[in-house]
Amino acid sequence: MQNENAIQTINLTKTFKSKIQSSEGGFFKRKTVIVNAVDNLNLEIKRGELFGLLGPNGAGKTTLVKMLCTLLPPDSGTALVNGYDVVKEQMKVKRSLGTLFSVGERGFFWRLNGFRNLEFYAATYNVPRQKRREKILEVLKLVGLENSAFELYQKYSGGMKRKLALARTLLPDPPIILLDEPTTGLDAISSRHVRDFVKSMVKETGKTVLYTTHYIEEAAQICTKIGILKQGKIVALDTPDALRAKIKKDELIYLTFEQVTQAQIEKIRSLQGVIAVTEEAEPNLMPDEQALRVELKSVDQLPLIFDFIFEQKIKLINFKQEEPSLEDAFIELTKKA
Amino acid sequence: MGVGAELEKIWYFMKRDMVSFSTYKTNILILIFTAVFGALSFAYLGQSSVNQTVTELYHTNYTTYLLIGLAFNTYLGQALTLVQKTINPWALEEVLVSPTSLTTFIIGSSIWGFVWSTGVVAIYLLIGVYFFGVVLTINIVGTLIVLVLGIGTFIGISMIGSGILILTKQGDPVTALMTIAISLFGNVLFPPQILPAPLRIIAYITPPYYFMTCIKEIITGSTIAMIMPNLEILGLMCAIIVPVGYYIYEWCLKTARKNGTLSWF
Repeated sequence: MQNENAIQTINLTKTFKSKIQSSEGGFFKRKTVIVNAVDNLNLEIKRGELFGLLGPNGAGKTTLVKMLCTLLPPDSGTALVNGYDVVKEQMKVKRSLGTLFSVGERGFFWRLNGFRNLEFYAATYNVPRQKRREKILEVLKLVGLENSAFELYQKYSGGMKRKLALARTLLPDPPIILLDEPTTGLDAISSRHVRDFVKSMVKETGKTVLYTTHYIEEAAQICTKIGILKQGKIVALDTPDALRAKIKKDELIYLTFEQVTQAQIEKIRSLQGVIAVTEEAEPNLMPDEQALRVELKSVDQLPLIFDFIFEQKIKLINFKQEEPSLEDAFIELTKKA
Repeated sequence: MGVGAELEKIWYFMKRDMVSFSTYKTNILILIFTAVFGALSFAYLGQSSVNQTVTELYHTNYTTYLLIGLAFNTYLGQALTLVQKTINPWALEEVLVSPTSLTTFIIGSSIWGFVWSTGVVAIYLLIGVYFFGVVLTINIVGTLIVLVLGIGTFIGISMIGSGILILTKQGDPVTALMTIAISLFGNVLFPPQILPAPLRIIAYITPPYYFMTCIKEIITGSTIAMIMPNLEILGLMCAIIVPVGYYIYEWCLKTARKNGTLSWF
């Protein structure tokens, strides 16, 4: 029976020893630093899921990807990909995976064209010879490189190189795809193209994708589930909406008035439940308008503010209540952990 | 800005390179050794006894001896460096995550080098035959046997060197020492018999001498039986060095993967 998890890790751990130059005693003195890149990680990614792994630089995302694709052996624990153990069943794992490294374009050969580069990798991934040409043209079309297939790789732009790396990942038609920071270094249009492509691919083919990124909104846009990684540990794991809801923040409202006096601002500041009032400098305001950022203990205090506004006959031009963003959630959760 | 400021910049350029260079300690030693032994090779080449020794040992002139040496040295050079060429860290990572075995990877990455070297050898020999009167009497089966054993041995050495390079990142002492052994003791430029006794011993315990002696004899009229004593030693070296080289390369690769340093260069 097929395991319902495409990827599963059980107490997965990877530690690195790193020698760094000591700040004292010249460049021959070095000290050893131990870094827990992945620390007893337990993670389950269901089949057909587009799972976002979010984390700041150095959180352990690339280390995890490298362990899953068998490049890096774990120190302890287990990782299963498509039900296969990454240590004991490496070939089966490799046949189940397509991996795009964060610097994937470096594995290409500059003096070959895009097609020839993929032809080489198609052979290494056992793509049948009779279907190879057709498959290469198919993946090149999928990533939007069909018109540049026979251009030399060295003439490709950064975005095209990334797309070719993505095409290479798709060549063997693997059920599971690891995308390690696939949009790093891409412009906004290329990034959006990659995101849209990944999202529609998962929807249409049911492939499982592990998508690592440190761009919070990118993960929110396309992933069905997000894990936040910090110092090798998952500190939060949920849907993007649920992650937003998880953080308890003070309520924030933005009010724009016409002709409000300093005394009235002071009065709002002194109302029960108001934590802080900040005068906001907004470029689009008219000379007699004033924007305030009001921090409340809870939304229950809102009626008090509105009562005061009506009582004072202050003209309210705009009212906006701020939702906590995923970025807030990310900062909050990585700070707590 | 004044001259002082520009001089300070130049100093920092040099300091940058010096500090980077000093981190590759193995490489520094190798460079010193190479310089010393390179100088020795050319000093011996200039000795007047070379011509006479060649005629006595190989019954041929020095031009023939040298051309054959240089031609087949291409194979040795290729075999010595070919595994190293495969360890471009990024291409290595990309291939290692594909369902391709290490053996396929090494053979596949090196095959073109040998095809090219064969062409180069042919050019050397044709020029020798048509322009310098070199006379070749090639025993094809014997030549193929010598080539297979010699190339196998040097691929084994290359795997040891490349494995070390994967760990040290720059400076592969094995390949460097073997390059020295080829130029000084390898019977390429001059017969090691002209060397002082202690240095001659080094020639007799290193593979380049046996490969070069066998190939020089087998393509100038000797039979397999005539070169058998040296061929046996070459075969023995090949039988030991290839599996040892493979094991060391695999171990170093595993260690670099474990340490996460495979793509560090």
